[in-house]
Amino acid sequence: MRMVLFFVAATALCAQDLDRVAQVASVMVDGDVCRRIQTPKSAESLLKVDPRDPWRASDDFDVNDGAFLQTKKTLMRLARLCPAACDVNLWMPVPATPPRVQILIRNVNEMSQFWRWGDLHQAMPEEMKSVIEKGERVTVRRRPGMVSVLAPVYDSLGDIVGLVEVVSRAERDSHENVK
Amino acid sequence: MSCASRFGLISLLGVACAAADLTAFPEHLRPDPFGAIVEADRNAAASATHAVELEAARGAYVSFHLTASVPEGGVYRVLVKPFPQSSRIEADVYREWFHRLAASGGYYPDALVPVRTPYSSRMPEPDNLVPQQTAQAFWVDVWVPAMTAPGVYETSAVLEAAGKTASVPIRLTVLRAMVPEEDVVAIDHNSYGSSWLAVDYPTMRQRAGAGFYSSDDYFRLIQAYYRIFYEHRGVFHNLGYGHAGKVAPEYAPRLEGSGKAKHIADWNLYDRHFGPLLDGSAFASTRRGARPIPYVYLPINPEWPASMLAWGEPGYEREFVNVVSGMEKHFREKGWTSTRFELFFNHKKRYKGFPWDGDEVRFARDYAYFTEYARLMRLAVPEDTPVKFRFRADVSWTMERQFKELAGVINFWVCGGGMFGWYLDQSPELKARGDTVWIYGGTPPMTSPASDVTVEVLRTWVWGVDGFVRWQTTAAGGDPWFKSDGGGETFLYSGDRFGIAGPVASLRLKLERNAVQDLTLLDTFKRSKGTGTLRAEAARRFNGTLAEDWHAPRPKLADTNPEDWNNADIGDAIPNNPKFGRGLDAAAWQRVHEYVLGLAREVQ
Repeated sequence: MRMVLFFVAATALCAQDLDRVAQVASVMVDGDVCRRIQTPKSAESLLKVDPRDPWRASDDFDVNDGAFLQTKKTLMRLARLCPAACDVNLWMPVPATPPRVQILIRNVNEMSQFWRWGDLHQAMPEEMKSVIEKGERVTVRRRPGMVSVLAPVYDSLGDIVGLVEVVSRAERDSHENVK
Repeated sequence: MSCASRFGLISLLGVACAAADLTAFPEHLRPDPFGAIVEADRNAAASATHAVELEAARGAYVSFHLTASVPEGGVYRVLVKPFPQSSRIEADVYREWFHRLAASGGYYPDALVPVRTPYSSRMPEPDNLVPQQTAQAFWVDVWVPAMTAPGVYETSAVLEAAGKTASVPIRLTVLRAMVPEEDVVAIDHNSYGSSWLAVDYPTMRQRAGAGFYSSDDYFRLIQAYYRIFYEHRGVFHNLGYGHAGKVAPEYAPRLEGSGKAKHIADWNLYDRHFGPLLDGSAFASTRRGARPIPYVYLPINPEWPASMLAWGEPGYEREFVNVVSGMEKHFREKGWTSTRFELFFNHKKRYKGFPWDGDEVRFARDYAYFTEYARLMRLAVPEDTPVKFRFRADVSWTMERQFKELAGVINFWVCGGGMFGWYLDQSPELKARGDTVWIYGGTPPMTSPASDVTVEVLRTWVWGVDGFVRWQTTAAGGDPWFKSDGGGETFLYSGDRFGIAGPVASLRLKLERNAVQDLTLLDTFKRSKGTGTLRAEAARRFNGTLAEDWHAPRPKLADTNPEDWNNADIGDAIPNNPKFGRGLDAAAWQRVHEYVLGLAREVQ
């Protein structure tokens, strides 16, 4: 029983820490730069289905490395605010009906509660939809032992253009996704 | 007369025996669990025999299938008697596992489970669960050491079942010719990470618990993968980092600090993992002897050892140089100077970790990153180091441009096999400047004709390049035993279900090894016959092609912008010669083998 209480307390503390980082991320991550990460040609190709070439969108995937690096460095600095190992991932909506989303920057610990390995884009989870619509941070516990806090990313017009996922896990897996 | 034709002469013209029987097939005719040949190999003319006649050079294996037919079912026993001890010839016997194919429900043999004879079991085999199984196949590898005297050696195999005994005489002619120890081409088998080992070896995983990845058992296991490929005249590569730069702890020294204080703190896991591979002691028990691995991936990636947080700033260079120079020093002090340590970037931007492609670069502006890493390596590694560092790039879309623009940066090219045919004329220039040139491709599934695994081996030699990589060779799938996907991404299987704490070879790996062995011997005749003659004759015998049929004419596509291509365009531009596809018959390599033996018989 004491172990369970300890785990609950640790998880709550962790979520609180992640929430604080997510709050800072909303201020520090530059939405205008984020919008410039993916090249227009790549964005145009993202949802296209080529019956003769199932890998076309993946092969066309391309980014402006300046915008990518600037944002990635910010995400990496934010991750240093976490008291334990965490990743701060960038997610950007993909214009589609129903709405879709793509992870655009991942980080070294390979943590995410949403990304399925290798997916270029995916259906937008309800939690992300909520963040984008309401502008409020959301704490997510989908996978056992993992906590994510989702927070909006704003551009210079004050519009929400994307979101960050600040994510940590109780037990690190040093081999997951090493492939 | 060769092995294949002798098999043919003593043909039974049918194997539907009413009583227990022991028969043999040449290596390229894979038996099914009912005494017939699998569908993919049926286009080759030969059938079961009641006698085995083999011929082999020294320092080589020669192989065949034994099939125990027990139509009435029940207990049976198979014995392969040893060759005379003085010959030092050894016979290894493997039970052939019949994989049930998820797609068709049919059965193909592939995993080879080592057994000691006499081997006793029941028909149907209790663990293979083949309904109405009437025949069990065994792969027999006969090893002829280099010191064996030329001559004829005899032994036999015996089946006991249902009160009957059946015997197959085995006669082996050992030639004077010797297969060189060094392979004429490097046939490489790639893999990624090691989390699959925890899945494939549940017994070991459970026993080791949380300490699995740092246990002695784990290191012995991973070394067993290198060893089994080495024993099959192959190379093994195992990448230790992911697309966002995560390095599994046992693939790199442990680092501490950041910026100018970043340094190597601990080599323990790395040395336990790689030490026996790099000094060769992991191979001491093999027939080929202790030899350091020829190639190994470094853990270097955009996030290791330097953090991307400092990319473009002095701190990145300092972190990189501090750690890589420490690695060079460690390797040098350990005497690990014969292995090529590969700086290799596997990441792709589609996996969203980094903003440039390290693997199969498509966008030319990404080249600048390679140039920068070459500069960092020059800073980190003394010019006169005895440690062999190579900068490897796996290339496809823009390989032609990369050959030019990254000259002096990349010195180890691993080129998409189909497309490289367009640029084959550039191979001599690459090699002349000291670059290593490999090609890459896939792993034929077990449902292809037996000879399919030899196509790329022969292509590598016909093209005159240094090696070939099968990009994935250890992913056997969720249930390779009863719901097999055909094994198109594996050449090995976990021995866990058989109580073996290591991998077991596939039949396809054995066929590949025998082909490498033949080519290595064939290449020794280039002085007397000329390389062109040897290549032309090998190609002709293999599939009725001319050597030039193996080349691909440069298509118009090659003169357009690769950023505008797609995979379908590339596929359209690669010749689709049916002689390499549906027209391939299972005996293709056997005909090359006969050619090699013919030349070998002339050796005095």
